[in-house]
Amino acid sequence: MAQVFTSPNPIGKKVLCMEDEHFISELYVRALNKAGYDVTVEVDGLQGLQLAQTDQFDIILLDLMIPSITGIEVLRRLRNPAITKQLRAKIIITTNLEQREDVRADIEKQADGYLVKAEITPRELVEFINSINV
Amino acid sequence: MDHLQKFTSQIRGRLVGILLVNNLLVFADWWVIEHFFHLQDYQVLIALGVATLLGLTLLPWVSAEYIAQPTKFIWQAVLHIAPDTANMAAPNLKNIHFGRELVTALVTHVYQLANVADNVEKLARTKRHDLKADFVANSLPLPLVVLDKDMNILFANEALLKYVGREAADTVGQNVYLVLDMLFSDQHTFDSWLERVRIGKVTATRTWTRVRLNLPDQKETRLFDLVGYYNKSNPEGFEVMLTIFDRTREYSQDEQAMGFVALAVHELRTPLTLLRGYIDVFEEELDGKLDPELTDFMRKMKASAQQLAAFMANVLNLARFENDQLVLKLREEKWAPLLESAVKDVQLRADVRGIKFDLKVDDNLPTVGADAVSVYEVVNNLLDNAIKYSKPNGVVQIRAHVNSDGSVETTVQDFGVGIPESAMGNLFDKFYRDYRNRTQVGGTGMGLYLAKAIVTAHGGNIWVQSKEGQGSTFGFTLKPFSQLGGGQKHDSPDIVRTAHGWIKNHSMYRR
Repeated sequence: MAQVFTSPNPIGKKVLCMEDEHFISELYVRALNKAGYDVTVEVDGLQGLQLAQTDQFDIILLDLMIPSITGIEVLRRLRNPAITKQLRAKIIITTNLEQREDVRADIEKQADGYLVKAEITPRELVEFINSINV
Repeated sequence: MDHLQKFTSQIRGRLVGILLVNNLLVFADWWVIEHFFHLQDYQVLIALGVATLLGLTLLPWVSAEYIAQPTKFIWQAVLHIAPDTANMAAPNLKNIHFGRELVTALVTHVYQLANVADNVEKLARTKRHDLKADFVANSLPLPLVVLDKDMNILFANEALLKYVGREAADTVGQNVYLVLDMLFSDQHTFDSWLERVRIGKVTATRTWTRVRLNLPDQKETRLFDLVGYYNKSNPEGFEVMLTIFDRTREYSQDEQAMGFVALAVHELRTPLTLLRGYIDVFEEELDGKLDPELTDFMRKMKASAQQLAAFMANVLNLARFENDQLVLKLREEKWAPLLESAVKDVQLRADVRGIKFDLKVDDNLPTVGADAVSVYEVVNNLLDNAIKYSKPNGVVQIRAHVNSDGSVETTVQDFGVGIPESAMGNLFDKFYRDYRNRTQVGGTGMGLYLAKAIVTAHGGNIWVQSKEGQGSTFGFTLKPFSQLGGGQKHDSPDIVRTAHGWIKNHSMYRR
C-alpha cells in the first residue's frame, strides 16, 4: 500500500517514490518534505505503475529493483504511448544497480535523469529535482 | 506441335508456289517460242530444255535460302551458347519472316537448356566428390567453414552446422556474415585482415581470440578463438577457411566475474547510500550545535563515506576495463569547469587532512575531447594520491596549460614523501603499490592503473616525476577536440571509443 507524506510547507508539487528499501525512502521523504514536496511512497512495481498512470505526480523517482515488476519494465510501460498517454511527470531513475553501458544508455534515453543512490546525498537529490522541475 | 504444323504448311504452300512458277515459266516459254519465233520442233525442245535448266538452277537456289532461314537462326543460337564459340553474336529474332513461331520457340528452348546445363555444372562444382576429404572435414570436431571470393559459404562441416544451429541447405551458398555474426575484440577484424592479405599475399594465416558470436535468437552468445587461412588462387575457388575453437565456458567465466563485481557493488551501495544519507541529516540538523572536535569528526565521517564511494567507482571501472566494457564517449568539453568541479568534489577529503589545493588554469585552453565521467575519475585518483602522500597541512598544486603540440596538460604536484627511483617504472601497473608506503597509507594500486587506461583511451599520455622526500608531480594530456576523429565528429556529436571494447566487423554493411 502506498503511503502519503505531506509537506509541512507544501509548494504544491507531488513526488512518487518507488523504492522498496524503507530506510532509503525514509531519508528521501524527509529531505523532500523539508523542501516542500508531498511524497507518495510505493514499494511494489505494479501498484506504482498504476499510481503513476493517474498522472497526479510532477516527479517519479524509480528504483530499478522493486518487487513484482522491475523498474525497467515500469519505465518501458510508462513510456509506451500505446499503454499510457504522454505522462506529465519527469521520471528520475534512482538505483544502485550496475548495468552494462548499453543497457544504461537505453534507460537514460527514456528517463529524465539517472542517479546512482550511493553517489548522492538526500539533499543533493532535492537539488537535482529542483533543477529539472521548472 | 502447332508451330511445327504451321511451319510445315508454310513450306507446303511455298513449294506449291515454286512448282507453279516453274511450270508457268515452262508453259510461257513454249507459248512465246510457238507464236513469235516459228521454230522447228527440235529447236522448241532445246529452248524448253534450256528454260527448264535455268529454272532448276535458279529456283532451288532461291527457295533453299528461303526455307533454310529458320535453321540458320537456330544454329546461331546454339553457337552463341556453346562454350567454344562464345564470341558468336546472339540471333536477332526480329528479322525472321518465315517460321517465326517455331524458331522463337526453339531458340527459347535452347537458352533454357543452356541454363539448366549451367546450373548442373555449378552444383557439381559446389558438391565435392572427394569423399575422403568430406569424411575428414565432417569428422573434425571443430567447426569449419570454407568461403569463396564473394564471402559466400562453399562448405560448412557438420560441427559448424551444429555450432550455429542451422541446416546445410540454408548455410551453403549464404553470405558468411549472415551465418556468423562475429564481433571482434579490437579493430583488427577478420574483414580488415582479408582486405590486407588480398593485396599481395598468396597465402596467409591469422588467429583471433575472444571473438563473440551472436546467434539470431539472441538467447545465446558464443565466445571463441578463430583461425583463418587465406589462399589466393585455389583451383576450386576456396579463398578462405575459418576454424572455430569454442571458449564460451572459459571466457564467460570472466564475464561472470564482472557480474559478481556488479552484484557486490550493488550490495555495498545500499548501506553506503544510507550512511551518506544519515550523515547528511546529522550535518543539516547539528550544524552549529556541536563542539569543534565533534564537528571535525562529522566532516571526517563524511569524507570517509565519499572516499568509499570513490573506491567503489574504481572497483567498477577496473572490472569494466578488464572485461572490455569500459566505453568512453568523447564530447567537446571546456576543461576549466570540468577540472574545477572534480577538484571541488575532493575538497572535503583534503580539508579533513589539512591539505590546501592551489588551482590555476590558463585562460587560453582549447576545448578538449573528453568523457567527463571517466576524466573525473582520473583527476579524482590523482588528487586522492596527492592528499594521501602529502605531509599534514601541505599544499597540492594543480595546473592546466596548453602544450606546444596543442594538447591540454594538467599537472598535480604534491610536496610529500615522493617515490623512490626503484618504484617509478611500475607505478602504473595494476595493483602495484610502493612497499614502503603500504603500511603508512591506504590504497589498492588500482587508481593509477585506471587513470592510465582512461587517459590512453582518450589519446593522451600520463606521466610522473618524483624525488624522494620532495614530492611528486603527476601529469596527463588530453587532445583538443579539434584534433579528434577527423571527419567522424561531424557525423555524430559523440566519438565512441572503447578502452579495448568490441568492434563490429563492418564489411557486410559496407556492401
